[in-house]
Amino acid sequence: MFSSFSSFYEKSRNKEIVAGLTLISIAVILNLVFGYFAMFFAFYLSFFKWDYIGEMQFVGLQNFEIVIRDLIRGLHGAPYLLVPFYTGLKNILLYTLIVVPIQTFLAIVLASFANQKIRGQQFFKVSYFLPATTSSVIVALIFIWLFMKNGYINYVLTHVIPGFEPVDWINNKDYLLFAIATVAIWGTSGHFMVSFLAAMQAIPREIYEAAMLDGAGPIRRFFFITIPMLRPMVVYVVVMGLIGALQMFDLAWIMAGANGGPGGAGYTVALDIYNEAFTRIRPGVAAAKSWFLFAIIFTTTYLFQKKYGRAMR
Amino acid sequence: MKKVLAGGLLVFVLLLAVVAAGCIGGGEQTGTQTSATVTETKVKTETKVETQVQEKVFVRFAGWSAGETEMKNYEKMIKAFEEQNPNIGIKYEVITQMFHENILASYGAGVAPDVFYVDSAWAPIFIDKGALYPISDLADQSFIDQFYPFLLEPFMKDGKLYGLPKDWSMLALFYNKKLFEQAGLTRPPETWEELEEYAKIIADKTGKPGLAIYLGGFNRYVPVAVSNGAPKPWFEKPEDASWFDNPVVKETLTWYIDLYRKGKIERENQGLTPYVVQPSDVGAGWLGDAFGQQEVGMVISGNWMIPFLADQFPDFKYGEDWDIAPVPAGKEGRVTMVYTVILGINAKTEHPQEAWKFVKFLLGPEGQKELVVKGGQTLPSIKGFENDPDMWPQHKKTLSFKYDKMIVFLWGPKSGPIESKFSDAMAAAMRGEMSADEAIEVMKQVVQEELSS
Repeated sequence: MFSSFSSFYEKSRNKEIVAGLTLISIAVILNLVFGYFAMFFAFYLSFFKWDYIGEMQFVGLQNFEIVIRDLIRGLHGAPYLLVPFYTGLKNILLYTLIVVPIQTFLAIVLASFANQKIRGQQFFKVSYFLPATTSSVIVALIFIWLFMKNGYINYVLTHVIPGFEPVDWINNKDYLLFAIATVAIWGTSGHFMVSFLAAMQAIPREIYEAAMLDGAGPIRRFFFITIPMLRPMVVYVVVMGLIGALQMFDLAWIMAGANGGPGGAGYTVALDIYNEAFTRIRPGVAAAKSWFLFAIIFTTTYLFQKKYGRAMR
Repeated sequence: MKKVLAGGLLVFVLLLAVVAAGCIGGGEQTGTQTSATVTETKVKTETKVETQVQEKVFVRFAGWSAGETEMKNYEKMIKAFEEQNPNIGIKYEVITQMFHENILASYGAGVAPDVFYVDSAWAPIFIDKGALYPISDLADQSFIDQFYPFLLEPFMKDGKLYGLPKDWSMLALFYNKKLFEQAGLTRPPETWEELEEYAKIIADKTGKPGLAIYLGGFNRYVPVAVSNGAPKPWFEKPEDASWFDNPVVKETLTWYIDLYRKGKIERENQGLTPYVVQPSDVGAGWLGDAFGQQEVGMVISGNWMIPFLADQFPDFKYGEDWDIAPVPAGKEGRVTMVYTVILGINAKTEHPQEAWKFVKFLLGPEGQKELVVKGGQTLPSIKGFENDPDMWPQHKKTLSFKYDKMIVFLWGPKSGPIESKFSDAMAAAMRGEMSADEAIEVMKQVVQEELSS
């Protein structure tokens, strides 16, 4: 195969095209098999009842009906254990509302600091980016330890804020989601900082110089030049952030556990899809739920792109 | 949008063209004389290798690991088996997490192992779907008769037996003798009321909580209910939710939930040492850890705790520092929970005879002597080892306890998912997020929903 391919390559007239296509074909094939095939198989699966061992059984829209009933019952206030999808969705929307704006804002702030010509800024760039290179499981485990009742975070807070009572962050349903969100923000804003830094360095210096001649101070320059020029990058970061936040699985899995921890406060849609497929053994329902999640992600990102993404051009 | 689609299509078509061209090119290449002979000899050697492989049959064996010792013991046994049976090779695969989920997914993908562990709680799912090979078709009755009959019951369906347990464990009360002495207690508690009383005395006298339990854990609560006269839980159809309407069930469940509410939450509100805790309250990962660190006076746990204590806390000695006693009795007798795992054979395996040979080797008297009795992880599932000199004294003691009922961990066809949801509801009630009655109502609805389809 390889020898025959190399002879084909030698004979071919346009070697660059052949080489290029061959190299990208690996990524394309992987994407076709694990991306598109999996997607369409999930769509197919969502109309079937299956238990992995026996035959698949066509059930029409029954799986989607299960999900919708779950949502309706959740809106009527059923206990969280009976409406897992609704619980996961509610949590993940709140989580997205917390995480995405803060991580975007923080990334811009960090990037503008890193963009200054200060001694040792390389050190800060690296240290902000480092979390992005660490496995999220390890990060979650470290933060569990920090968030413990007799852990470091409570220790600092009790010493900084007078009269502060230690909080059991992980085992309290009122704080669990915020604890997870904190970890997510810490872990991702450094990554997005690099995107912003690249965009900032692409802003022409002349614009700043012109503004300085007109007497604009650093703060005005930041708000009237940097931010508007960063707009396409902000859209990109927010869209990526939205997708990441709505699909969140790893942090919740480690910090809250497969069942979402106390009061189901850390339960997410992705966890529910996993549980549905492998604990309750209803892969069809899991597939239906993933299509719901897909629809939610698609509409939010589409609407956001439509509203802000094209304004520059 | 259209442009993107057209672009994608173009890439795809080009890709196919490249692959196709590669194949055609290959055909041209082999057309020459010399390389044709090369491929011919290649094919010949390949078929030779194939026939050699076919003589040796490979059996895939998947298990989880209860620690490194267990894995090493199995590897040793596999080596011994392969020496005795040169025509059978064993591929040992250890799946550390989400074991049954993994096995199910591998069925879906058509690559399930030939022999694998199945926990009693998951067995009905595998048996009902015809995923397990009926052991009774492979084994002699005399071989099956060596096993404890109550361990086989859950794996019977329509007169056929689908699995033989590799070992088993049961719940017992582990108590810290030093803390008992400090508290002035001379013997382990006999009844559930006494258990709570003892826990309180230990907390008051020693400053350490008397009892550690899990938040949730339906299987730990069942012996309380059944020993007080409730029937064994069995959930097969939605109407079986009525088990929870039994007044004994309600009363004992409320008592069990209140253990933590009264023992921990209320006590702390009064500024007193809690007498009932969960492992994380004392900085431990699980009951064994909390007990081994000597942070609590008593726990109710299974035989798997014994090798863990011996391994992790060598200074905390059985007999001198801690001891075991039967699970406390209720109004209607003494009941314990039994946990067991079978070695299942894949119904679709291509080599049922070879797989059975391997299973028989592991489960037979010699295999269990090596793996279970000497290994000391759990209890042997075949009779006759009760007085074996190699049996660990702790395990011998658990086997000597007299119980009125032993319940195998199995609540019907959907035990696994049901147990997990029940435990969540119980945990929520224990934390005080809902009342015991609300938790019972949720559990009833869980039964109705899980079993209605």
